[in-house]
Amino acid sequence: MPSYKFNYFDLRGKGETCRLCFIAAGVSFKDHRIDYAAWPGNYKAETPFGQLPYLEIDGKKFAQSGAIASYISREYGLYGTSSLEALSIDGVVGLAADYFTMWAKSHFEADAGKKTELQLKLKDTDLPSFLANLEKILTANGSGYYVGNQLTLADLSVYDILENSYRDYPSVYSSYPKVLANRKKIAALPRIAEYLSKRNVTEI
Amino acid sequence: MPNYRLHYFDVRGRGEIIRLLFNAAGQKFEDVRYTKETWPLFKPSTPLGQLPCLEVDGTLYPQSGAIYSYLAREFGLYGKNNMEIFKVDIVMNIINDLMPFIVSVFVEEKDEEKKKTLLEKLLNDDAPKYLAQLEHVALQNGGAYFVGNSLTLADLAVFDLTDNLLQFKPDILSTFPLIVNNRKVVETSPALASYLKTRK
Repeated sequence: MPSYKFNYFDLRGKGETCRLCFIAAGVSFKDHRIDYAAWPGNYKAETPFGQLPYLEIDGKKFAQSGAIASYISREYGLYGTSSLEALSIDGVVGLAADYFTMWAKSHFEADAGKKTELQLKLKDTDLPSFLANLEKILTANGSGYYVGNQLTLADLSVYDILENSYRDYPSVYSSYPKVLANRKKIAALPRIAEYLSKRNVTEI
Repeated sequence: MPNYRLHYFDVRGRGEIIRLLFNAAGQKFEDVRYTKETWPLFKPSTPLGQLPCLEVDGTLYPQSGAIYSYLAREFGLYGKNNMEIFKVDIVMNIINDLMPFIVSVFVEEKDEEKKKTLLEKLLNDDAPKYLAQLEHVALQNGGAYFVGNSLTLADLAVFDLTDNLLQFKPDILSTFPLIVNNRKVVETSPALASYLKTRK
C-alpha cells in the first residue's frame, strides 16, 4: 500500500469527493487540511501548479481533484466492473461537475443583484434539471446506485456535489425520491457514516 | 468490435477530440452531424438532451469527458497503467479548468463589447496561465509527448485546444516550445496526417 497524503483546505469544496473515495474504500490516508487564512504562505510553492488539492503518493505530488478521485476509485474498486460501466460512471461524474460549475458561479458572484438572480436560477432551474436527470438514471439502473449494483465514484461524486444544495434547498428534493433514497443509502454505508458523524461542519 | 456512431453538431467544439481519437486509432465510426433544423428532432432521444453522444451498439452515452476516456481506454490511447491514466487525466482536468473561460466568450456572452473584452482576457491572461501548466507537464515528462512515450488522449486534447486558440492569437504559443513541438508530432503522426489535411 503506498503512503497517501491529501492536501486541501479545511473545506469540502473540490476536495471532499477525493476524501470520500479513500474513506469508502477503507484506504488510510493523511487528511492534511490547510488553514485558508494561512494560504498562500509557504504552501502555494509546494503545490504542483499553485493550486489545491494535490495528492502525495509516496512523496510524489499529483494535482487536479477529478484525476485524483478517478485514480483512487480505479485503484480500489470504485469504478465499476467494465469499460462501459466506467463510461457510465464518468457520465454521471461529468453531469455532476456541470452542476458544480453552476453552483460555484452562483456562490462566488460578487455583484449582489446578479448573485440573487443566479441563486434563484439555481434553485428553480439548474437544480431541478440536474435532479431530474439523476432520477432518470436511477430509475433506468434500478439498483439504487447510479451505475451497476454497488457503490462507485458516481454515487460519491453526486453525494458530495449535492451537499450544499441539499442543505439550502431541501424542498426541491421532494419530487426526486430515488435521488433522496440514494443519498440516504450512501450516508448510511458504515465507513462513510462514521466519517460523516465526526466531520467538521463547513459552509462549503 | 462495437458499432460506433458519434452524434454531434456540424462543428469541432466538444466533438473534435472524439473524431481525433477514432482517426488516431484507425477505427471506423459514423460521424453524424446535426444542424439547427435536425437537432430538435433528435434531442428527445438523448439521455440528457445534450450533445455529444456516443452510440455504442445502439445505446447512447452522454458527456464528452466520459466519451473521451472510454474511447481512449478502448483504443489503447490512455497510457499503459493506472499511473499513466492518472497523468492523462491531469492534463484533461487542466484543460477543463480553462473551458469555462472559453465557453463564456464563445457561447455565453451576447454583448459584443463584453465579448471582445473577455476574448482579450482569455488570450492574454487565462489561456496562458493554463498553457504554462501544460508546458510544465510536458517538461516533467521529458519527451515529445505529454504522457509516456507515445500518443495519448492528452496529446490530442492539447492539440485541439491549441488549434482553437491559435486561430485567434497566432503567436499564443511563442513561449511554450514544448507544446509547439508536441503539435508537430501530432500533425505528422501517420494515423492523423491525412485526416488533419482533409477535415472540416
